[in-house]
Amino acid sequence: MTTSQKHLDCRAYAPIDVVKGICHLTKETVLADDAACPSFDRQPKCRACRLYSPGEEAYVGACGATPDRPMTYPDLVAVTCEWFDWKDG
Amino acid sequence: MERKLADILAQADAQLEYQAMGVARPQPTDREIVGEPCPRAKRLREIYYSALSSASNEFPHWYTRTYMTLDNEIPVVRRALALESAFRHLTPTILPGELLVMGKTHHVRGSFPSPWLSEGYYMAAEDELYQEALARGSASADEVSIFGAGGGNVTKSFGPVVSIAGKFGIRKEEVPTMLRVARAWEGKSVDDIGHKYEQMAPGYEIKEALMKSVACMFDSGYTLPQGREVINYYYPLQYGFDGLISKAEEKKREVAGRPDGDGLVGMNRLYNYEAAIHALKGVQAWILNYAREARRLEAMESEPAQRSEYAEIAACLEWIAHHPPRTFREALQLTWTLHVAVLNEDVISGLSPGRLGQVLWPWYEQDIAVGRLDEAQALEFLECLRVKYTCLDCFASMGVVGGVLSGNTFNNLSIGGLDRHGAPASNRLEELIIEAAMRCATTQPTLTLLYDDKLPESFLLKATECIKTGTGYPAIVNNRTAIEFLLGQYGPEEMDLEEARAIAIGGCLETSPCSWMPLSLNGETYWIPGGSGQPTSVGVHFLSLPKILELVLFDGVDQRTGLRVFPPHGRSLDAFEDVFDQVKAYFARAVEVLSLANNIQHDVWRKNNMAVLNSLLKPDCLESGHLINELGYRYNATHNVETCGTINLINSLAAVKSLAYDKKSVSLNELRLALSDNFGFKTADEVSSYSLAAQEKRGDSSEHDRTHFECLTAPKYGNDDPCVDGILREWEEWFCSMCRGYESLNAYPYYACQISVSTHAPMGAVTMATPDGRLAGTTFADASMSAYPGTDRNGPYALFASATCWDHAQSQNSQLNMKLHPSAIHGREGTKKLLELTRAYMHKGGFHIQYNVVDSRILRRAQENPDEYRDLLVRVAGFTQYWVEIGKPVQDEIIARTEYEGVGS
Repeated sequence: MTTSQKHLDCRAYAPIDVVKGICHLTKETVLADDAACPSFDRQPKCRACRLYSPGEEAYVGACGATPDRPMTYPDLVAVTCEWFDWKDG
Repeated sequence: MERKLADILAQADAQLEYQAMGVARPQPTDREIVGEPCPRAKRLREIYYSALSSASNEFPHWYTRTYMTLDNEIPVVRRALALESAFRHLTPTILPGELLVMGKTHHVRGSFPSPWLSEGYYMAAEDELYQEALARGSASADEVSIFGAGGGNVTKSFGPVVSIAGKFGIRKEEVPTMLRVARAWEGKSVDDIGHKYEQMAPGYEIKEALMKSVACMFDSGYTLPQGREVINYYYPLQYGFDGLISKAEEKKREVAGRPDGDGLVGMNRLYNYEAAIHALKGVQAWILNYAREARRLEAMESEPAQRSEYAEIAACLEWIAHHPPRTFREALQLTWTLHVAVLNEDVISGLSPGRLGQVLWPWYEQDIAVGRLDEAQALEFLECLRVKYTCLDCFASMGVVGGVLSGNTFNNLSIGGLDRHGAPASNRLEELIIEAAMRCATTQPTLTLLYDDKLPESFLLKATECIKTGTGYPAIVNNRTAIEFLLGQYGPEEMDLEEARAIAIGGCLETSPCSWMPLSLNGETYWIPGGSGQPTSVGVHFLSLPKILELVLFDGVDQRTGLRVFPPHGRSLDAFEDVFDQVKAYFARAVEVLSLANNIQHDVWRKNNMAVLNSLLKPDCLESGHLINELGYRYNATHNVETCGTINLINSLAAVKSLAYDKKSVSLNELRLALSDNFGFKTADEVSSYSLAAQEKRGDSSEHDRTHFECLTAPKYGNDDPCVDGILREWEEWFCSMCRGYESLNAYPYYACQISVSTHAPMGAVTMATPDGRLAGTTFADASMSAYPGTDRNGPYALFASATCWDHAQSQNSQLNMKLHPSAIHGREGTKKLLELTRAYMHKGGFHIQYNVVDSRILRRAQENPDEYRDLLVRVAGFTQYWVEIGKPVQDEIIARTEYEGVGS
């Protein structure tokens, strides 16, 4: 059984390279863009942050954590970001 | 039917012999010794084999975001704060089964661009930034460099992946911001600012023409500003991160507001200590992020053994993030972490761990003594370490990574040598390092044996056995010759014999200054070696000697591009001495203009992009408060002039002398015509082969056949021929001496450096036919003392005699590679014969020798069926690389090298 989410966006996904990784739950190699399993656990990324606002160009946005609103991108992993705040709780 | 050169020569009862000292067995022969890694290392190595070179934007994003908010901050502090931010925000990845953790990025073979150095080269070819780079010559080498299309190289875009800089894959979601981050550095990078000022140096137009013609390969200031040096792990090993931060805080209080007699840079010490603290805190945070990831994985792991391993990883990281290591494992993890941290600080090739087996000996010895560690465990750690090192990628331009490095990063681990009292320094841990390298054959770290007659025979035989695995390591370096060079080069900076004995190799073959540091562990003091000099990857790199000869013969005009490189010399070249003198004159002019530009680029680098982490690790920066930019390193005379194609130059000069002046059988004009017409052959690109024997005639014309035959059969280097060796000796004595006449930005004289790395392929690709009979576009002879393929016909001892006709201690290095058929050194007796061969070269004063133990027919098979040879390793020139990741020009050259079927006298 799969979900509409990708392995790439799962917290259990450990990337090997730009197209594949290892699932910490199954220890199997999985393709980054394949659909994740029901155990999907969402990875914190800018696009999921309350402070993120998308820009006009695809894959480019802005971070509202600081007044200068620097550029960022939706797929930036935010597990180490001190400002990350889930936008949907 | 196309006529190949080899067939034409065979018809004339001549041949390009690629087998010497016998004939190969009828059937291809595999290497005698094939190792098997422990299961854990094997699994991790399999993951490596499957991994693509992957670029990401995380580090440059956070670095740039922070840097751009800090206008008017003191430059060194600004840089350190940007580094701190980048380290703090790297996403940690830990794979199941790992014992040693942490890497450059969250990918196994991860790397990232550093646009603060240079931003144009990885833009799309049609982008204006890339076009600008081409126009100034800084991307010219990219155009003629070729990556191997196999292994992990991403040479083409596919699906969600975009190929950049010819080798790296990046996910398409990251491309728009990667480009925006790059553009943020337009006009601010070391490349751009350096370019602005280098144009003010006299002779700049010659410098630009040298780059465009690829007579010179790359500018080190904005491509690889650090490297080919030995890192120093001592301070964190002795004091821990908390200890170092406390020390820097204390020093800040001591120096704040006090020039202490140095009105120029005395005040800078405050800012430097402040920068050091930020950089250290960034690395601490990075380590602790990994520790947290290990705890998270521990919590979610259901399998007890794996859960326990995550807990051990976390405990190790939590400790070393603050304190000096207590155990072998903690010390090993810390050295690896420091290594990666420095590699993330800058674009570096050839950051070498040095004599790691001697650095880690205190923990190993004490852990073994109390039963905390056994040899099997140590071996497992060391095999895992090999996989980790092999994962290191360096993100730089295609010309640099492909053309110079063949994708390698040159982390050279030295073994053997002497201790500070002159006794053998080898130890049991070094034997395990060799064993790990035999069992878990990978490219990194490559090994170098610092050969000294004092080393135990058993140790030398063990190292020689390792060579028989065919991995090409250990390379053998003459410890005494290296010490002699160091004393000559760094004596003015007060290096003495005891200090010189700390020598290790940085990068492929760069003799590097090191120091002994007193390490205390549980009440015992050990003197451990570590690097104490500035990078040696810097200076005038690489100058193509055959191209210089081409410019002499054609009055300063590059024959490939039609570009005028030098003003016309206008000489009629009536005597051979005129030709040789003009080669020297053009070479000297090239060094002059390139050194000025190089000094400016490195000065921009050290003002805006200086090493902070690498600096604080090196003696005596922490004590003095001065980093690399203020000559805080103990040894600063490290800039050099590096050449490529020595033997093609020497053979060509010998041919010119013999044919045009001594025998007068071919006039210089006839020779020019024949060279311009490539002796009637197609170009290497047309033939799609880069070795001489495979070249094909363009038609039926025999106009230049006699000239070509005479050129091919003119005297050649490597045969103990006094005439050719005399030309080599004259060149070497002049070259090693002339470098001293140029001043690096640190106000020390340059010196000679003679390794080819992979530059003999792209530099050969842009060079017309040469008077030694080599055809246009084919690869030069590798290294600096290797014979041109098929021309060393009098056995290895004649080759040694030729190679040592000059004093190798006058140069930072020289390089001799030999290809041996596995059967030539079979069995225990074969091992002893190989050691005797090595010893003979060392006794003659040769600086370096390394062996490719392989049957050339295996290489041909691998070229035809790369998918079946993913793990095949070969030695190139100072480094070992996976066959499938090497470009075809270098592959062809390795196949063509003379294969020795025996090693007797």
